[in-house]
Amino acid sequence: MNYKSNKFSEQTYGSLFFSKLSKLNFLIIISLILLGLVGVASLYSAAGGSWDPWAKNHLIRLIFGILLMLIIAFLPHKVFFKLSVLSFFIGILSLILVKLVGTGNVQRWITLGGMNFQPSEAMKIALILILARYFDHVSRIDLDKLKSYILPLFLIFLPGFLVISQPDLGTGLTIILLGLAILFFVGISMNFVIFCLIILASSVPFIWNQLYDYQKDRILVFLNPELDSLGSGYQIIQSKIAIGSGGIFGKGYLLGSQSRLNYLPEKHTDFIFTLISEELGFLGSMIIILIFCILITSIIKISFSVKTLFSKIVTFGIGFLLFLYLSLNIGMVCGLLPVVGAPLPLISYGGTSLLTVLIGVGIVLSINIHDKEIG
Amino acid sequence: MKNISQRNLEKTISKRFFLLSIFKGGIVGAIGWRFFDLQMIENKKYEKLSDNNQFNYHMIAPERGRILDRKMRLLAGNMDGFSLVLNWNKNINVESIIKDILSVIKIDPKDLNNFFKEINSNKNEFAKEILITKNLSQKDVSKLAVRSIEFPEVSFLITKKRVYPQGIIAGHITGYIGPYSEKDTKINIKPHTSWIEVGKAGLEKFFDEELRGKFGRKRNEVTSKGHIVASQIYENTISGNDIQTSLDMGLQAFALERFEKGNNTLVSIKNEKIKKQIEKSKKINFINNDYVYKDKKNRIVNPESGSLIVMDIENGEIICSVSSPGYDPNIFSNDLEVNVWNNLKNNSRSPLLNRSMSGVYPPGSTIKMAVALAALENGIIDYNTKFYCDGAKKLGESTFHCWAKDGHGKLNLTEAIERSCDVYFYELGLKVGIDKIALMMKRLGLGQYYDVEINDKSKGVVPNIEWKFKRDGLQWSMGETLNASIGQGYLLTTPLQLTTMIARIANGKFSVTPTLMINRNKNRFKDLNINPQHLNFIKNSMERVVKGNNGTARNYQIGSKKVEMAGKTGTVQVVRISEAEREKGLVKNEDRPWEKRDHALFVGYAPASKPKYAITVVVEHGGSGSSTAAPIARDIFKHIFKV
Repeated sequence: MNYKSNKFSEQTYGSLFFSKLSKLNFLIIISLILLGLVGVASLYSAAGGSWDPWAKNHLIRLIFGILLMLIIAFLPHKVFFKLSVLSFFIGILSLILVKLVGTGNVQRWITLGGMNFQPSEAMKIALILILARYFDHVSRIDLDKLKSYILPLFLIFLPGFLVISQPDLGTGLTIILLGLAILFFVGISMNFVIFCLIILASSVPFIWNQLYDYQKDRILVFLNPELDSLGSGYQIIQSKIAIGSGGIFGKGYLLGSQSRLNYLPEKHTDFIFTLISEELGFLGSMIIILIFCILITSIIKISFSVKTLFSKIVTFGIGFLLFLYLSLNIGMVCGLLPVVGAPLPLISYGGTSLLTVLIGVGIVLSINIHDKEIG
Repeated sequence: MKNISQRNLEKTISKRFFLLSIFKGGIVGAIGWRFFDLQMIENKKYEKLSDNNQFNYHMIAPERGRILDRKMRLLAGNMDGFSLVLNWNKNINVESIIKDILSVIKIDPKDLNNFFKEINSNKNEFAKEILITKNLSQKDVSKLAVRSIEFPEVSFLITKKRVYPQGIIAGHITGYIGPYSEKDTKINIKPHTSWIEVGKAGLEKFFDEELRGKFGRKRNEVTSKGHIVASQIYENTISGNDIQTSLDMGLQAFALERFEKGNNTLVSIKNEKIKKQIEKSKKINFINNDYVYKDKKNRIVNPESGSLIVMDIENGEIICSVSSPGYDPNIFSNDLEVNVWNNLKNNSRSPLLNRSMSGVYPPGSTIKMAVALAALENGIIDYNTKFYCDGAKKLGESTFHCWAKDGHGKLNLTEAIERSCDVYFYELGLKVGIDKIALMMKRLGLGQYYDVEINDKSKGVVPNIEWKFKRDGLQWSMGETLNASIGQGYLLTTPLQLTTMIARIANGKFSVTPTLMINRNKNRFKDLNINPQHLNFIKNSMERVVKGNNGTARNYQIGSKKVEMAGKTGTVQVVRISEAEREKGLVKNEDRPWEKRDHALFVGYAPASKPKYAITVVVEHGGSGSSTAAPIARDIFKHIFKV
């Protein structure tokens, strides 16, 4: 820790607060709130024009989540630096715990004091933090050496495989992709990347055998939805019908026939963007994707103006995490990717992904406030 | 935390950042393009698919128009019936639902069979209504309605069932309806339901479009589970128009009864002797439930077969058209059983044939007026021209006989018609020639179609030299002219054509054409263009057929001072009589097997003084025109004029 200056210690708490407030990135906060409200409105529509059962809860969670995000934003970012190792171990422990005591057919959830908690979501933030801390720690010269990447790869694939074995292919792959993107970001040798891609390609048959039947089905059906138009292909066919029938301006808010008549599966969680596309059309969909892009670019832009490598990696990681969420979910609903089960952050109903994103953005805001390079 | 000190790392990170941004931009671009493709380019396709999901359409059949007689009595109408319909969708277990329903009510196995056929042939995965049965009784409806909560997948439909209160009496005229099939391509409707019915014969077929009205459409909004959340009339139905025919059902009923009886007597079936007799005679096809017919020799016989038409000579309206044997069109409204259908189709007496319009018969002596008119109009003979009849006319090698073995002696035209002398008309035919006879016949309405409102009709045959050459490539022979002159040989006519011929003769001014509609023909006939004097002469001769001392129908005068009929009898040989048989002496008609007996014909009009109605009676294998057909005609006129 070698702060070049610590001007905050000389100031009163009151002026400190306002000084921090003025450094908040409001573009990020506004786009976040906008997307959260889009989520509330979509869930209201998904329930056929009712606050129950989803829209109300989502709004409450959103309010509390944003408050939590602001609290995090005002914490000094060194807190996350310190907590990174601990949070990662807690994350790994909960992933193991969830395998032992998890609820439901698919072991994803642990129940803590009446609240369902999905450790795999929190793991994403923990992974970003621990990778950032690791790379911040190793010497610059070592970054060129391959052996410095052995530990990070282990840190990535341990939670990754734990999550895939839950089984939750979507989240597991997200974790692995996220980790690998960070490795790529900090400058892992290009030759090694190519080598890894070759290894990956050649291990496809092996991975295929490790997959559960329903996961195999999903991928096969993705390649040809008509294979099972009433079974697992049904989701994607109906989703495409809903999106396609939306046209340029959509069928109108609350008027999406595909969702209203229950042709859309999971319309309040993974397929909520389909509902939006059906009701608001091409223009609506593009505006929402645009807001996401603004959010993601604003976050990633911060990584250029921070002093420490830790902050740089964390902001990039969280930005990339959001991008992964967005592209996996939307790519899935429009049939570009197989149905792997990925929520759309801030809009899909579900506490854990909302919380993960808000905590992540909170950390980014904190870094933005506390770790600015002095121009 | 360490600051980024090395330029090198910063450079690497910037480079990697740039690469990742391109990657991200590419992904977002791909997503954007995908949405553009789905929502803008292929929008129409997906809109249709979404519409197919959201809605399913059902045709609503309009109420079929009624068919009425001239006094607004019902010939064909509709009765409420209940249908049971399954709101099918891919998620329901059809077998178990049907099993549950069968525990409450009975369903005809045939209906079930059809239902499962429909289910199995249903490739479309969208929800729709499928008919289970349309023969639900009021009792079944209430039984099911009480437990309707157990059967959310089925619903009732009030359907209209076609009924023909007159049954067999006017079956050939009304025709019947049946389920739409691919063969009915003329009908430009694509039914989405399996129970659309279209006219298959008679007026039902001819006026199908008018009677049918316009189909409406119902639009149901259905969820993915097949539940109907909303239902609205998408297009209104327009009921079919009523059709008023020119028939008089009172007369029609009387005529049918009188015709079927012929010269036989009615006996009750309850009589023990009769029962035994019925069992013995296996050939009897048409046994009414209450009585049978017995001929003069005490044999049980079928009702007479043939046709009877009564037509208004002023406007051509057909007020009575009997064709026997007939069928009850109501059997087609219920699901027609195969054996009933086969019995109708394969029956040797062809009950499905409307003999009045499409049955063709040699007209026999009833044609003699046309031959006489041809001679008079062409100036070949005058009213007093006489020929000598000695019972036969020799022509080359052949001998042509008169029906009177010993001949009629010397007689003029009136006498020849009155007594129906064949030799006189042989001579006449030879003088006039077949072509001129054929022209007159055509002018009187033979050998042509009319635009009468029945699809199935026959043209008949009016032969001439050209016709024969075209058909056989052979020259016309004189003998054939002789045959044609007495209405035998190639000459074939329908009862409707004969009626039209008589109507034109009786009318005298116009070429009347027949119609089954009331008030349709008004002052639209062409002029007949036959010398009225000649016509009056012929009409007088026809009066003498009934009233004259030697008239062939003299025994069957109406006998009223107000009304008398005029006409002409005809007896048509159906088997060639060889010279040897003739020498032995002819076997009497009633001693021959039914199929070999002569056809009995009578054409005429009444009242003779001021003609109003024309009549044709054709009794197949009925014996002689004078003894079988003429009394029927007399009784019909008696009924019409209430004398």
